[in-house]
Amino acid sequence: MSYIIPIGPYHPALEEPVHAKLYTEGEVIKDAEVFVGYNHRGIEKLATERNAIQTLVLVERVCGICSHSHALTYAMCVEQINGIEVPKRGEYIRVITAELERLHSHFLWLGIACHIIGHDSMFMHIWDERELVMDLLERLTGNRVNYAMVTIGGARRDIDDDLKRDLLKACDALMKPMDRIVEIALTDKTIALRTKGVGVLPKEDAVRLGAIGPHARASGVDVDVRRDSYCSYGDFKFDVPVVDSGDVFARVVVRALECYESIKIIRQALENLPDTPINLGNKLQKIQKGVAVCRHEAPRGQLTHMVVGNGSFNNYRLSVHVPSFKNTPTVPFMLRNNSVADAGLIIASIDPCFSCLDR
Amino acid sequence: MQEYKRIEISKDQVVPIAEKMRKAGVGLAMIHGFLNEEGQMDVSYEYSVEPVIESYHVVGEMSIPSISEIYDQAAAWPERELNELFSVEFEGLDMSKRLFLPEDMLETQGRGHIMVTPLSELVEKNIRKEE
Repeated sequence: MSYIIPIGPYHPALEEPVHAKLYTEGEVIKDAEVFVGYNHRGIEKLATERNAIQTLVLVERVCGICSHSHALTYAMCVEQINGIEVPKRGEYIRVITAELERLHSHFLWLGIACHIIGHDSMFMHIWDERELVMDLLERLTGNRVNYAMVTIGGARRDIDDDLKRDLLKACDALMKPMDRIVEIALTDKTIALRTKGVGVLPKEDAVRLGAIGPHARASGVDVDVRRDSYCSYGDFKFDVPVVDSGDVFARVVVRALECYESIKIIRQALENLPDTPINLGNKLQKIQKGVAVCRHEAPRGQLTHMVVGNGSFNNYRLSVHVPSFKNTPTVPFMLRNNSVADAGLIIASIDPCFSCLDR
Repeated sequence: MQEYKRIEISKDQVVPIAEKMRKAGVGLAMIHGFLNEEGQMDVSYEYSVEPVIESYHVVGEMSIPSISEIYDQAAAWPERELNELFSVEFEGLDMSKRLFLPEDMLETQGRGHIMVTPLSELVEKNIRKEE
């Protein structure tokens, strides 16, 4: 029997507003469609009425999870148009915040994935460890979300010796629970049964559909914008985990392994903090005439901002494209020939942020 | 700092460049669009030619050949977004369904975007009417 099963936009299996139509034959999904646009907030239009400092506050509100990534990418665009060179210490502090953000985002997703799988004890264990990262972010930036750590020309808050010591200690303290989480994720029978061979996206399809971030790396596509050495990323040694199998399990593995790399980067940045000012102490500047497009490897993948300046204080145009904009078109392909019961997990496996996508 | 290279092209060059990039394994980072100060449409195709972003701009065209045949959904989604936002026609793009706008608006509102009148203009119009 053929059925069309609608899921969402508000559904207990989904964390965010998205609508999917599943065309099924019995229990098997034969085709699917995904509909977005349920949470449009007009952020791009609002940005045209804001100056650069006000826009930093605005773009942080695009997403509650990767707010620093948005502020960082926007700041990089304005700095590129205005030819501002950020002091090294400011860049290092930006990197530390970005990597802590990646840690908390990956912990959040791993927890939610376990919750959908039905492994709720693992979900609570992971979110317990995430609290440690959230506390670190609060200690570093003063906020648990919307960190306001970036300013045009550098970082807003410095890291003193006490904080540096505490952060390094916390990096050590995180290793033990992380080892435990990775061990359970890789060996647990429940996780393996629900994720291995589910929602497969082969490498050719990932390339063709333009998948990015951990989602693409789980399909064997070796892409990571951090290799482009922006924001002093070239100063740090880190690996980019790539797995070939392309299923939900591979996405769990890639994100779990990326947590280790983030800790590696944070440790190197803290140990080698340059002795320069954290920012240039710039006053509010006009955005010069020109166009800038900058990318940042946000926790979910490559985040792109385009800023057009016309010589006034306000943005002439801001365009934000989040990783979910590139990864969501892959969802119908992953859903095909899978069970209806796995649909929620497969949609969630790209770590979607539909509120970001709709802006 | 990331490098950004701006190149202006005509609309006939869009497809050959996309084919060349796809063959070379270069990813399409994004397709952006905005109305410039002269009121002309500026559509830019950003390719990640690591570590540089090569940005190919087509200025003043409201009808451009689609590259969704070459880059599949990676191009189709940004093209559909630009069509809804600015009414740019992408020749060969399947626009039978909405991306961000509600599905039922296809019948009731016609093609392209819905014109939203800015509040200041609306106030002005109303004042004029009253006079």
